[in-house]
Amino acid sequence: MNIRVLTKRLRQISQIGFLLLFLFLFRHTDYTGSDTIPYAVNIFFRWDPLVAASVWLAAKEIVTLLLPSLFVVLLTLVFARAFCGWICPLGTLIDGAGYLIKPVVNRRLNLRHIKYMILLTVLVSALLGVQWLAFVDPFSLLVRGFSFSVDPVFNAIVTNFFDTIYISGPSWLSGLTEPVYDVLKAYVLPFKQSFFYLSMLSFVLLGAIFAMELISKRFWCRNLCPLGAMLALISKLSFFKRLPLSACKKCELCIDKCRMDAFSPENRMRTEECNLCMDCLEYCDRKISRFAFSAKPSRQRVDLSRRQLVASGAAGVVLWSLTRVDAAAKVPSPTVIRPPGALDEAEFSARCVRCGECMKVCIRNALQPVFLEKGTEGMFTPKLVPRLGYCEFNCTLCGQVCPTGAIEKLSLEEKHGFVIGKAYVDKSRCLPHAFSKPCIVCEEHCPTHTKAIDFHTVAAEDENGKKIELKQPFVIESLCIGCGICENICPVDGNAAIQVAAKSPESKTGGGYGL
Amino acid sequence: MDRREFLRNVTLWTAGAVIAPPVFHITPRLFAATGGRTDIYTAKGKDYKRMVNSLIDEMGGMKQFVKTGDKVVIKPNIGWDRNVEQAANTHPDVVAALALLALDAGASKVSVFDRPCNEERRCYQNSGIKPAMDRIDDGRAECTYIDDRRFVPVRIKNGKSLSEWSFYRDALESDCYINVPIAKDHGLTGLTLGMKNVMGVISGRRGRIHHNIPQNLADLNTVIRPSLTVVDATRILLENGPSGGSLSYVKTLDTIIASTDPVACDAYATTLFGMDPGDIGSTVRAYKMGLGKIDLHQCNIINVS
Repeated sequence: MNIRVLTKRLRQISQIGFLLLFLFLFRHTDYTGSDTIPYAVNIFFRWDPLVAASVWLAAKEIVTLLLPSLFVVLLTLVFARAFCGWICPLGTLIDGAGYLIKPVVNRRLNLRHIKYMILLTVLVSALLGVQWLAFVDPFSLLVRGFSFSVDPVFNAIVTNFFDTIYISGPSWLSGLTEPVYDVLKAYVLPFKQSFFYLSMLSFVLLGAIFAMELISKRFWCRNLCPLGAMLALISKLSFFKRLPLSACKKCELCIDKCRMDAFSPENRMRTEECNLCMDCLEYCDRKISRFAFSAKPSRQRVDLSRRQLVASGAAGVVLWSLTRVDAAAKVPSPTVIRPPGALDEAEFSARCVRCGECMKVCIRNALQPVFLEKGTEGMFTPKLVPRLGYCEFNCTLCGQVCPTGAIEKLSLEEKHGFVIGKAYVDKSRCLPHAFSKPCIVCEEHCPTHTKAIDFHTVAAEDENGKKIELKQPFVIESLCIGCGICENICPVDGNAAIQVAAKSPESKTGGGYGL
Repeated sequence: MDRREFLRNVTLWTAGAVIAPPVFHITPRLFAATGGRTDIYTAKGKDYKRMVNSLIDEMGGMKQFVKTGDKVVIKPNIGWDRNVEQAANTHPDVVAALALLALDAGASKVSVFDRPCNEERRCYQNSGIKPAMDRIDDGRAECTYIDDRRFVPVRIKNGKSLSEWSFYRDALESDCYINVPIAKDHGLTGLTLGMKNVMGVISGRRGRIHHNIPQNLADLNTVIRPSLTVVDATRILLENGPSGGSLSYVKTLDTIIASTDPVACDAYATTLFGMDPGDIGSTVRAYKMGLGKIDLHQCNIINVS
């Protein structure tokens, strides 16, 4: 193997290695028998300079959790957009998809400016306090797509396959498949089937990135990715580049094959577009293509006109003001129960990058993406859906995986006292209150060290007119932390007869009643 | 009946549930004799493993209950994400000691499981029961999570309040079922003891059981008939039950109770709380259905320590 092919192989090994790391960390974003997660499962967000910039601007504070992003900045200062070509797991998956999806039009569309415009729009909005990364950050799209759709679908298909054989197949067959299933359950599959709102939308958003391969190779990376745009701008300072800085006139294979379309119509290198895949080393007939440090700048300028620059800044302001006139900003949203450790709403919303890590790690599958309850801006932020799952009393995982500190890391003691909402009994539906039937399952499950649900014992008559003693539950407001286990296990059909309302932002005591 | 046939039956039963509810037959040998006097064995001390060994020894050894090749189910209470000191789950030493005895008696498989109220991995881990079982380095011993595919509908022939419910197959099919509850406070039933521990092997929305809980528990206990009941009263939960929390609700009694009569076990354990067996509805109903004795005067209390 000559050195040219070897370099390409090294790049492929690096790509696969980081993809495996990503998948490993994804699978380990879960409870594994210890109260703390031993790996930095959120590292792909914490070294993402786009996340850092957008969060620092929105929060008006240097969030130390995001300092690893300086490593990627440094890497880019030296090796240009090597991150895009050698590390980014989304880029790797796109390259992989390229083996299956071939461009049907393959026109050299010049849309590169769009990614710079997206970047600027997002950062201007962030400066005004609104976070749009949910829709444009590659890892936010990737992790959410995986958490909410790809992984649950994968598990559902595999599980259904083995369950069908187990339930309906002959015993000799399930005797063969069950051991395989056990191994898969131990090493590959998630512990439990998870369920998510917006799973279809998350899938479509991620799927669209791959569908764009029909237009051209790495369409997302070339034209849309704002992280790519940011690294492109930084890489203008890098000395490491492909040489010569323009294609020779002989075969022009390097131009035709370039997955990033890193050559201008005049065949000049756009160094900021090159992701150092090094394919052109292999194609170059004359073997003059090489990668090296060189102080010589490319004569090609970044694709962004002054008019586009101004337009994207204006778009940032308009998008910000649209969130301010959204009715969602005016009405209370009692159903949006934020996770324990979440900062006050405005700061939370500014810091949360809608990455889905907290929802992925939630061991009760209780944290779910918000749709439009908090306006377009609040889409994909987390909320507790108690009827689906409750907040486990001794669990602090969501705060541990949050990459931006939007959910603070809580000690167990802090968690036990952290109020996310308050429960209230609906006496018109509660079995002992409305139907004189014994129940108090809510009291049984209440986890606080002095139960926040107590009961009055009253004399009553059952449906046959027989005199009975009845225990009627009530909530001790000062003790309730809003974990939602009562709402979760309430045996009443449909809406529970005890429900949790989100902590009201106006209430300093944390009362869901607005007290 | 082999597995294939069993599953085919289950499928048919499920399909025809409305017209022909399934019947899981309870083998007559499981119906304990109700005449004569019942022996209740108690042990007091600090070494819980040794106490379990002495209790079973005094009862005639584990071979009384476990024959060579038997499939044994040990059903502790692993209901809550609480640690050993918080007294919400069965003590791991008691569970592990019973498992070792069953293995020594020649069991082909010893399964420990429960269907917890909190997240199962946290409960299994923090109760100390999974770590204790993992330390028993024997391929026959397992502490597994509930597999939802293994619930089968059962018609409760003798039920007065419940006519049908789904039960865990492993519990139904076991050759020897050892019930190992912890004694603790419970808001609705007064106490939770052996009778209530059966809720860990049934499926569905268990909250519905609470409408008529004393009779419902007695009905469920006509299906699951333990060969042996061991009540963990090494530390009992006096308040805020069944989940507990603060250590101030916990009282250390260093006591373990064992009997072949599940009702007598519950009756005796009730007295440790200064209550009368007749105060606990499920004990009364179970007694009335002939599942065991409630009158401790008809029992021999044998202290083995």
